[in-house]
Amino acid sequence: MQLFGRKEPKRSPGADEALGLFLFDAVNDALGAERTLKAVGYDVTLVAPPARLRAGCDLSVALPRFEHVGAARTLAEAGVHVRDWIDDAEGTAEVCDLVTTVDFGEWLMVRAGNMKIVVEKATGTIVNTSGGGCPDIPYLNLALVGRRIDEVTRPKDLGYTLCGLMLDRAYVEACAQLDGRDACAPAGGDAR
Amino acid sequence: MTLLVVATYPVIDGPVLEGPVTLEPDGVIAIAGTRVPSSQGTSAMLGAACQVASHLKIAAPYALVAGDIGRGDGTRHVYERLPEVAARLRPSAVAFHYMQPVMALMRHAVHRLAEVVPDALLVADAGGMYAAKAAGLATRFELMTPDVGEVGFLADPEVTHPAYVSHYLFGNDGFDPVALARRAHETGGASRVLLIKGVRDHIACEGEVVEAIDEPCVPELEAIGGTGDTVTGLACAFLAAGFPTIDAARCACLANREAGRAMGATPAMRARDLVSALPGALSENLCRWGGACVV
Repeated sequence: MQLFGRKEPKRSPGADEALGLFLFDAVNDALGAERTLKAVGYDVTLVAPPARLRAGCDLSVALPRFEHVGAARTLAEAGVHVRDWIDDAEGTAEVCDLVTTVDFGEWLMVRAGNMKIVVEKATGTIVNTSGGGCPDIPYLNLALVGRRIDEVTRPKDLGYTLCGLMLDRAYVEACAQLDGRDACAPAGGDAR
Repeated sequence: MTLLVVATYPVIDGPVLEGPVTLEPDGVIAIAGTRVPSSQGTSAMLGAACQVASHLKIAAPYALVAGDIGRGDGTRHVYERLPEVAARLRPSAVAFHYMQPVMALMRHAVHRLAEVVPDALLVADAGGMYAAKAAGLATRFELMTPDVGEVGFLADPEVTHPAYVSHYLFGNDGFDPVALARRAHETGGASRVLLIKGVRDHIACEGEVVEAIDEPCVPELEAIGGTGDTVTGLACAFLAAGFPTIDAARCACLANREAGRAMGATPAMRARDLVSALPGALSENLCRWGGACVV
């Protein structure tokens, strides 16, 4: 049985406000910034930078322009390296939120974008991860497979790339679908 | 005729490894004698390529890899070494696999390869494919091996990573590989031949699907990490052996499926289980599938 699902579109942070972007040299810097800013109450979104600013595997953090100064100070105090800030969020794209679930009987497979995770229902053991193409994906495969979903460090906290981020989304969805199991590791930030 | 695979392996600060690839008795691959972790990704791809080389009695695949866990350091190291290695090895095919998808590095690599090995066929999958498409270089490649989700990325000219693929490409029944292969070709996002991996595999040449393969049907393979990588490894090895590209793609799909059927695939199995089943699948069927009969 294959179930297609799509999460409700998120409302952008400060949707009525003009947005700006923090740009980063590495995806894990963007993930660290999101985690840091959310932890102190900022409402931010991970997005692709505008095409003219992309180098390949890019992720930026969008937030209302008027919060730029305080947010930048928070990131500096936390040691998160920011490459730049731009006052224009035109041309950004949100991270794919397509989620597909396949029920294999004893096993549940969740696909988020280009990434998949497979969990044995009875034990919560991660039996496979797949998809993607960035170098942290084989690394995450070694770190996650064979361990229980409620014992592992979240892919988002172990990985470094957009593929790792998508695997985290599959991981969170798998946790949510394992009935009665408070499975997800708390981690540093919200995956959504 | 030699296959050169350019990729990474999942070890922090792992050194550059360069040399022929061997498949050890326990299923682990070794590069110039150094064992690398068995996982999904390039180890699965190389394992499958080794099995083809062994079956056809051709040169083992040659790897240029470095340790990288997603920080891009190993990726940069292999790109630095690539022109020199390619000039020395003179490969007939060069395959880019799990790498940090950095457009600038891929642009430089393709430019240099055109100078030192102008006749080599270029193949891309995984991060190598992401970088090639994002950099606008897809049409320079002979073969790419996306899955059904990734072909949506190839067909979307606005995005530089599959994580940003546009919603409108996801129809009511999921991605349509036939339509997306055509669109990817029209927008310059596809190699000459696409092998689109899925429940039904599609092979497209210049935007038109020329073959669809759905037997034997083993849905569990999609759940096993690395079974897409084994398809890529098979196709690369057949290509390096001199198979026409479409024949190489067809034989890769069929061999992967047949090995999956023979091993009784479940979602809890590993890519190395499939690699172990390949010799039987090849010896029993390759002559019939592709006309390459080994005596």
